Amino acid sequence: MFDWKLALEAIGMIIYATFMGFIFMGIERKAMARIQRRVGPPIYQPLIDTLKLLGKKESISHGFIYDFGPVFALGASIAALLFIPIANFQLFSSNADLIVVAYLLEVPMLGIMLGAMSSGNPYSAVGVQRGLLTMVAMQLPYGLALIALIQHWGTFKLSNIVALQQIHGWSITVPALFLAFIVFDIVFQAMLGLEPFDVIAAPAEISMGPMVEYGGKHAALLFTQHAVQLFAETAFFAVLFLGGASNLLELLVKQIAVLFIAIFVASIYPRFTIDQAAKFFWKWPTILGIIAVILTMGW
Amino acid sequence: MGEDFISYELKEFKLFEPLFRWARKKSLWIVAFCTGCGGIEMPPLFNARYDLERFGMMPNPAPRMADLFLITGYVTPKTLKRIIITYEMMPDPKYILAHGSCPINGGVYWDSYNVVKQLDKYIPIDVAIAGCMPRPEAVMDGIQEIMRKIESGEADGWKRYRENYEWYRKNQDELFGEGWREKDAKRWLAWL
Ligand code: SF4
Repeated sequence: MFDWKLALEAIGMIIYATFMGFIFMGIERKAMARIQRRVGPPIYQPLIDTLKLLGKKESISHGFIYDFGPVFALGASIAALLFIPIANFQLFSSNADLIVVAYLLEVPMLGIMLGAMSSGNPYSAVGVQRGLLTMVAMQLPYGLALIALIQHWGTFKLSNIVALQQIHGWSITVPALFLAFIVFDIVFQAMLGLEPFDVIAAPAEISMGPMVEYGGKHAALLFTQHAVQLFAETAFFAVLFLGGASNLLELLVKQIAVLFIAIFVASIYPRFTIDQAAKFFWKWPTILGIIAVILTMGW
Repeated sequence: MGEDFISYELKEFKLFEPLFRWARKKSLWIVAFCTGCGGIEMPPLFNARYDLERFGMMPNPAPRMADLFLITGYVTPKTLKRIIITYEMMPDPKYILAHGSCPINGGVYWDSYNVVKQLDKYIPIDVAIAGCMPRPEAVMDGIQEIMRKIESGEADGWKRYRENYEWYRKNQDELFGEGWREKDAKRWLAWL
């Protein structure tokens, strides 16, 4: 029996997430511009950009995998989105959806890398190498932060975590989980590809990294993917540490709060080189993460 | 064009064309290719004083994502090869804005053996701004002009390049000699 209500809800959620994701990207650009004392683009600028990229009259393809990469990435971010409890809606859930979402948020990077590798451009190859190293490096603190969280709340279900936070107070009010929050926030910067850890795209350093060969419709697809990803990641953050939300407005406020921390950090720090980034991830966030895990074991 | 990629030309949707034109006008991405003295004058366009991001413009290091090509000064034959390759890499609605007098007629380098005198013979220019170096306001004026032309559909350099490719190709070959792409690619092999 086909579930019409579920399908409609899923479509509505995807549209809402894409739209809000584009607005978040606009907020990001606008806020960075204001920090540099510029006027900056209008807030809906990423929508115009995507429209323009869709309106290109020519498109270049390097073969099937090259086309498949961005589609794969977009699919993975949409799948991640559907598992996260957005306000009262959680469309799909399983026993361990925290792990599912945590890994589905990593998959888009692999999709982009897959497409980029098949373009045969040396800049993409360098970008892919850096991207994979960043991913490997950030898994350790990321995993530790999640372990601390799971150990404290004693459940793998996102909806249970939200419910527990509603009773016992937000995650960040617990001292041990506050450490995990700091670790997660550092990793978050790398997940969004923002400044101290934007070694993957690294504009001006290695052209555009993996995205160097993408133009036209492929780039529009990547833009959409980035929007969905941004929405999903900020929502995931809000659900894990800021106590979820009972309505969309509350969620939006929390997401924007999370986003602004990322923007402020990004706009004052220069970029790490890749070896520094790997070293950094395996030092301070890892130490903090281990302390957080040990503290949660004690309680 | 190489054999290892497929290039499709996409059909024009007449119905959405006004919308796309508006979007193209509002988000011109510049390929960051600075030639000549204008390379100094390009960064000021993007900083706090003359903020071009207001118009949705963004300097972009990758030619595949770019729409607008600023030729910012004199062009030597050696640079022109790179300019042509970059221009051909950009996907189709693409525009060229030449600023300074050097791309128009050679400027102060009218007597040089090594400066391309008339850039319009090799690649199609949509808007040119005079001045040696034009003020950022003048560049912004040129950008407004190109936006107006995109909106009305007059900015058709990419169409001219497609239709008169033989002529442009002939001029390029006259300057560089036949088969310059291959020759230039193989040039460094002997020195490895
Ligand atoms: S027009 Fe003047 S400023 Fe521009 S490249 Fe030529 S000499 Fe330099």
